Amino acid sequence: MAGEVAEFEIVEGGLQTTVQDYPGRRGMLAQGFFPAGPMDHFAFRCANLLVGNDASAAGLEVTLGNVALRIESPAAIAVCGAPAPATLNGETVEPWQTIWAEAGSELRIGIAPGPGFRIYVAISGGIDVPILGGSRSTYTMGQLGGFEGRALREGDRLPLGETPGGASDALRRLKASELPDYSRDWEIEVLRGPQASPDFLTEDDVEALLSRVWKVDPNSNRTGIRLEPHQFSWARTGGGVAGGHPSNILDNSYPVGAVNVNGDLPVILGPDGPTAGGFICAATVAHAAFWKLGQLRPVGDTVRLREITLEQARELDRVLRRRLNETSLEDIE
Amino acid sequence: MTNAIKTPYPGTFYRRPTPDAEPYVDAGDRVSSGDIVGLVEVMKNFFEVTSTVDGTVERFLVENGDLVDADQDIAILAS
Repeated sequence: MAGEVAEFEIVEGGLQTTVQDYPGRRGMLAQGFFPAGPMDHFAFRCANLLVGNDASAAGLEVTLGNVALRIESPAAIAVCGAPAPATLNGETVEPWQTIWAEAGSELRIGIAPGPGFRIYVAISGGIDVPILGGSRSTYTMGQLGGFEGRALREGDRLPLGETPGGASDALRRLKASELPDYSRDWEIEVLRGPQASPDFLTEDDVEALLSRVWKVDPNSNRTGIRLEPHQFSWARTGGGVAGGHPSNILDNSYPVGAVNVNGDLPVILGPDGPTAGGFICAATVAHAAFWKLGQLRPVGDTVRLREITLEQARELDRVLRRRLNETSLEDIE
Repeated sequence: MTNAIKTPYPGTFYRRPTPDAEPYVDAGDRVSSGDIVGLVEVMKNFFEVTSTVDGTVERFLVENGDLVDADQDIAILAS
């Protein structure tokens, strides 16, 4: 129907449902923008692949669940990420596969019981909110991008993009061999530094960081995954001109996924984190492992950080990118 | 017949709106569907937990400040 914009409506908003795209808002660290984008970029990218969207199309990041939406024109949809009970017009929806939704269909997602915490919904055509700084992602800390810079709530109506040649009704699923492993006890691959031993932490401190089983703090969010306070020994007695505590350094930029040690508290910086600050970053999450941050439940999950080399991190990313390909999908009979 | 009030959110459960305030409800109080019975702090935000049923609070299953998981029963109602 020319001239008519396809839309969908939020019937129930849930804990925090935001519009995100991948890879988010790149190239703007100097302006103070972390990239935003989906916290679990693997599940998000799979969802787009399953509905035949361009990799840059925007979709929904659902936190925990309790979300419902009404899709007002026919569309292919996919629900990926944390296992959660989901229905389309009352019929059970299988995750990690394409589902055809007729006009007026209602998708309901219940509470994800764990493992996993975030669910991703792609709709063919993608969500056509305005582009800001090259991305449609919602940056929660800055309250901008996405839909009015905020989490979605009941009654919001969001426009969908056009699907070239119409939405494909080919129904496919991710092969079982390509499904990610979710856990309540996570192992996350990190690279050492930029500020580790011997200059800032002792060897024993780094050993403790990499061997301890850390509980995830309930106040973790898209800004950062807070772990537990830990009494490090520190290689220095203070922060010199940067401050009294040895975790202090002169303000510098933070890498996405940094394990930032703020006093005694390690915080892994998420996609909406701060771009710079005056605390050390003892380790950095490998890009191919970053998706795991999105699936950490804020109550009951634990994390172990496992050190890998830069070459191993590159290889993990090559493997992940290979998996995000048509060859990982199979037709549903 | 008894019913449970569940929290839809994981996090730290509070029975009062502020540390000095009276609890939202106590054992023996009547609640109606939609009434606030507690708060859950998670992701640096507070979310209200409301009853989805009518009844009288028999007892709370969690204490103020306890960690709760999503979908966990927090109070038993007699209706």
